[in-house]
Amino acid sequence: MIKYLKKLFGSRELLIALTKREIKIRYKQTTLGAIWAILQPLSLMVIFTVVFSVFLKVDSQGVPYPLFSFSALLPWTFFATSISFGALSVINNSSLVSKVYFPREVLPLASLGAALLDFGISGVIFLGFIFWYKTQLTLQILWVFPIIATEIVFIAALLFFLSSLVVLWRDLKFIVPLVVQVWMYTTPVIYPISRVPENFRALYTLNPMAIVIDSFRRVTIMGKPPVLPELGTAIVVSVILFTAGYAFFKLKERVFADII
Amino acid sequence: MKNIAIEFKNVSKSYSISRHKYRRITDDISLAFKKVLTKEQRSLVDEKFYALKNVSFQVDGGMNLGIIGKNGAGKSTILKLISKITYPDSGNINVNGRIGAFIELGAGLHPELSGRENIYLYGAILGMKKREVDEKFRDIVKFSELEKFLDTPIKRYSSGMYARLGFSVVSFMNPDILLIDEVLAVGDKNFQEKCLLKMEEFAKGSKSIVFISHNLDAIKKICNWVILLDRGQIKASGKPEKVISSYLSNYADKNL
Repeated sequence: MIKYLKKLFGSRELLIALTKREIKIRYKQTTLGAIWAILQPLSLMVIFTVVFSVFLKVDSQGVPYPLFSFSALLPWTFFATSISFGALSVINNSSLVSKVYFPREVLPLASLGAALLDFGISGVIFLGFIFWYKTQLTLQILWVFPIIATEIVFIAALLFFLSSLVVLWRDLKFIVPLVVQVWMYTTPVIYPISRVPENFRALYTLNPMAIVIDSFRRVTIMGKPPVLPELGTAIVVSVILFTAGYAFFKLKERVFADII
Repeated sequence: MKNIAIEFKNVSKSYSISRHKYRRITDDISLAFKKVLTKEQRSLVDEKFYALKNVSFQVDGGMNLGIIGKNGAGKSTILKLISKITYPDSGNINVNGRIGAFIELGAGLHPELSGRENIYLYGAILGMKKREVDEKFRDIVKFSELEKFLDTPIKRYSSGMYARLGFSVVSFMNPDILLIDEVLAVGDKNFQEKCLLKMEEFAKGSKSIVFISHNLDAIKKICNWVILLDRGQIKASGKPEKVISSYLSNYADKNL
């Protein structure tokens, strides 16, 4: 594992080059360009606000609902974009994989990197919202760094599994978007985590995304620290999955060129 | 002391030629059940085609190896194994040194990006540092003769221009081992000559070339050792003139 990570560090320039490529290509020949990165969470926020705040009157714990949902949609969109592009990253680069040698894990990681940039752009909009609603920013916001780091490790772990499994089983291409959609409902994007029944709570918080999103919301707009035992669980789960996923990817990588 | 650049020891490589190109989830699940229920070990995708069978050879530093043979003899598979794109079923492969492979036209180039962007991207894919590309950028562009089209998306390039761009980047990455697979088929006479000159220049040094071509004159010019492959096995190896003439007398007439 250490050996692989060292090699990966040696390929950082390739990772940067491929990330740049992914960003450039994604918005090439589109009129709105990078504005699409913002429109996605923004439009969901509007829909959610209308449906869940105006129609259904979901409790948003004293925070204006648009802010409440955007604070979750930000890390959620990062997750969903990374997964939907990253899962296909290896098969979408089949000509590269079958004709040039390079550490293949840079492909899913480049998708992750490109999504991280989108996340940064929407983050600026989010800050604008925070000031607009005159929400008090506190020093708790510094927690976003470990929280996002946890999310990155977790996404990378999933991508190692997904991007290699998609090569073996193309059916996954259709399963992944479906699962991502369902996954959003097992994550406190629309509703506060406090509405999850107590007896489900332990199971519920095994999902690192649930903790990442709840923590992100707490530290950005509620001025509260994350629940440390829960964040700790998320970190442990993510790191374990990352190690397993990376090993799995490296094992399957050898047959990519023959199957793809 | 002779240093070994590439060593193949009893290398075999097969490809599955089953009915389904891709495995399906249902295949794997039913197979798993079968294994549990009947203890059957046979896999569903067992039909195999051997691209290479027990191939052994060695390339010393400074040696320029040519590989000739009919289509499907396993030539390209050897290059893919050397560059670690694919792995052998059995046998050992040792490679020492930085590899520069030009295996297929346009692999690694992205049609939406400009020539300039592609030079950096392709350089990075081949393992060059950005600084390295910066230093060599002018030489690469000059060699490729694409100065005018540097900021055009390469989807507007002709296939000859693709080849020029790709070959130029590979030849300036300064590898220890250069792998070339039949690139001279594209590009005009002028550029072919230029590539050959560049390769000859490279061939004179202490570095190694593995060169696949149906152009036997080019092989004679560049290589000092030739392997003749037939259906995944080495039929002959030795000095270029000797192997090429035996190839011509034994195979070419049957081929035609």
